[in-house]
Amino acid sequence: MTATPDQQLHRPPHPPPHPPPRRPRRGRGKLTSDTRAAYMFMTPALVGFTVFVVYPLIRSAYFSLTQYNGLTTPTFVGLDNFRRMFTTDPSFWPSVRATLLLVVLYVPLSLVIGLLLAVFCNRRIRGVRMVRTLIYLPVVLPVVATITLWKFVFNPQVGLANQVLSWLHLPTSEWLSGSSSAIPSIVIVMLWSVGSTMIIFLAALQAVPTELYDAARIDGAGPRTVFFRITLPLISPIMVLQVVLQLVTALQTFNQPKILSPDGQGGPGFSTRVLMLSIYNHGFPTLGRVAEFGYASAQVWVLFLVIVVVIAATARFSSIWTYSDHAS
Amino acid sequence: MKRTLHAAGSVLMAGGLLATAACGGSSGKASGGKTTVTLMTWESNATNQLIDKALAGFHDPDITVKRIDTPNGNYGDKLASLTQAKKLPDLFWCGNDTELQYTGQGLLTDWSGKLSGSGGFTADSFSPTAIKNWKTADGKIGGVPSLLNTYGIWYDSDAFKAAGVPVPAAGWTWDDMYAAADKLHKKGAKYGLVADALTNLDAPFSLSLYSQSAGGAPFADSVNQPTKVTADATFTEGVGKLVAGIKSGAVAPPGYDASNAQSLFAAGQVPMLWSGQWLAAGFLTDKPKIKYGFAPLPQVDKAATLYDAVGICTPSYTKNADATYKVLSYLDSTVWTKVLPDSPVAVPAYTGAQDAYFNALGKAGLTTVASTVKADLDAPLTSGVRFTTQWASQSNDQITAYWPDILKGNKPLSDLQTMTGKINDVIKSNN
Repeated sequence: MTATPDQQLHRPPHPPPHPPPRRPRRGRGKLTSDTRAAYMFMTPALVGFTVFVVYPLIRSAYFSLTQYNGLTTPTFVGLDNFRRMFTTDPSFWPSVRATLLLVVLYVPLSLVIGLLLAVFCNRRIRGVRMVRTLIYLPVVLPVVATITLWKFVFNPQVGLANQVLSWLHLPTSEWLSGSSSAIPSIVIVMLWSVGSTMIIFLAALQAVPTELYDAARIDGAGPRTVFFRITLPLISPIMVLQVVLQLVTALQTFNQPKILSPDGQGGPGFSTRVLMLSIYNHGFPTLGRVAEFGYASAQVWVLFLVIVVVIAATARFSSIWTYSDHAS
Repeated sequence: MKRTLHAAGSVLMAGGLLATAACGGSSGKASGGKTTVTLMTWESNATNQLIDKALAGFHDPDITVKRIDTPNGNYGDKLASLTQAKKLPDLFWCGNDTELQYTGQGLLTDWSGKLSGSGGFTADSFSPTAIKNWKTADGKIGGVPSLLNTYGIWYDSDAFKAAGVPVPAAGWTWDDMYAAADKLHKKGAKYGLVADALTNLDAPFSLSLYSQSAGGAPFADSVNQPTKVTADATFTEGVGKLVAGIKSGAVAPPGYDASNAQSLFAAGQVPMLWSGQWLAAGFLTDKPKIKYGFAPLPQVDKAATLYDAVGICTPSYTKNADATYKVLSYLDSTVWTKVLPDSPVAVPAYTGAQDAYFNALGKAGLTTVASTVKADLDAPLTSGVRFTTQWASQSNDQITAYWPDILKGNKPLSDLQTMTGKINDVIKSNN
């Protein structure tokens, strides 16, 4: 038997750790006035959470196993809704594809553009406050109104976008009417509101200690080195937050495809029928179409699981590229 | 804690009741002892004002009529939420599909007994096809058809003249239509023909006219109780001609944004537009600068057209069915005779009120509209515009998966068989 390093050095083994101090035992069921007050203040939030989150969640889990149109009694069908989703529904996989395409285009673009705008707006130059306001302005405007305006801009026959392209002698686009150009067009509309991303990055940039920049400059570091060696690492925790926020935003996109698609159903074809719109189409049908709450609930649960997995994966892998003061 | 929960529950319940009470409600006794019959339409403000004016002529000592104002833009959403909340008004505008689906689920008052009775407002006094399409398999009628939509081709006479093409007229063929579209396109129009009805979800039903007119099988054997869909050789031939028209640029492709097609037509930018007679009312108000006409849909051998009736439905929980039926019969007969002269949107299903529509068209000089609507009403072959079944959305998804790609040439014509096969699977699994 080989000796342990401690035995080799003739050191005594580590003493056992101290047991944790015992909490004084309280009388069971007796609440202090502070605890009672805490429960009282928590009650409205707990009631709201239970009524508007927990209860609908349980109901939707139940409905996902039923055939239910909201009018007659639900019929239990087991996993039929999930089977239909993955095997016979021709719209499901195109919905997944449209959602993923939107995520892949929107998340990196919103982060890069948001960060670049924040870096620009972080500079001490004349008129920068006005620029910040202008960039943030679309965020505070009514969403439906701005999206509707974009619909006119992207109209392939009489829209401003094609008019401008024509003036510049550039090829025009079908924009929202084309199967391949529809999602990129929607991403452009979403990027219109990149001011919210910019403002968070701006706050993060302004929290970076200026001494570090001063020290770097004294050491002869150029702007690129300063950005990649100091700024980016120090705002990396905020970057993780932004990635998660943008992922959730992209996965839950609804307004833009609902308002912008020519048929309001996620067309042309299934090209803009993202998962949220698919859920809406099945759960809240248009005139003359009966609701399929059971099937819509099943889709809700699939989307929920996708979001949970994506966020968990982001959180798990973020530690690899996130700078931390506490890193050993 | 228990008391707190109880209070919170009461507040939530009260809030819920207030929220639903604000949405509508069915007939009940008003404070003056009169029965109030509530009504909801999807009409424009202008037409609603005409309806209100016409309803002022309804005199019954025991009945008050109250129209619930609702924006026509979100009518479907409003109807869906009122249905879920069981707060539908006594009378509400409904499509054939809504009527059949709701009647099948026992949500509507069955008027078949009253319509088979004696008097001036019975099933015999309606357009026969409309009544036939409004009956469920077991003979119930959860609403009464009110207006008939007829379909045709709006054309810009000057554009046709400039292209040296004769304007469309009854008896013209599908080949004539595509040839005219091609010439108009070559003469400078972006598309010679804009026909959303040939590229959207309802398109196979529109193309059904081609095969029916050529002696082939209809796309669906029924829109109310279908047992199968078919894409036979004539149907495939018709689709092939459409594909060629789209390929040449003569016909607007799938995905074309048709939302402003009416304005583009009125502005002279669309020379041929497949649509319905209802555009006439808007044209009378907006007065387009072009000279326009309305021709029947093309044919192969026999005249064939699309058929679609909207109507007025009543929930099963209406509190006073007799009073509601009185108002319903007044609406469907007398009100249209007063509204249509100023807003000739469609021909009434109640034959006794049809003259008011045709007189209004004649007075406005819309002779081609009047003759096309009459031709449509007399067409020997008709097809419903879409499935009215509860599973229609499932078959729509199959159409979306195949139809646009077939028309664009991304999928072969033989995929029509795959599409119909999958729709037949949907029919089978739901029957």
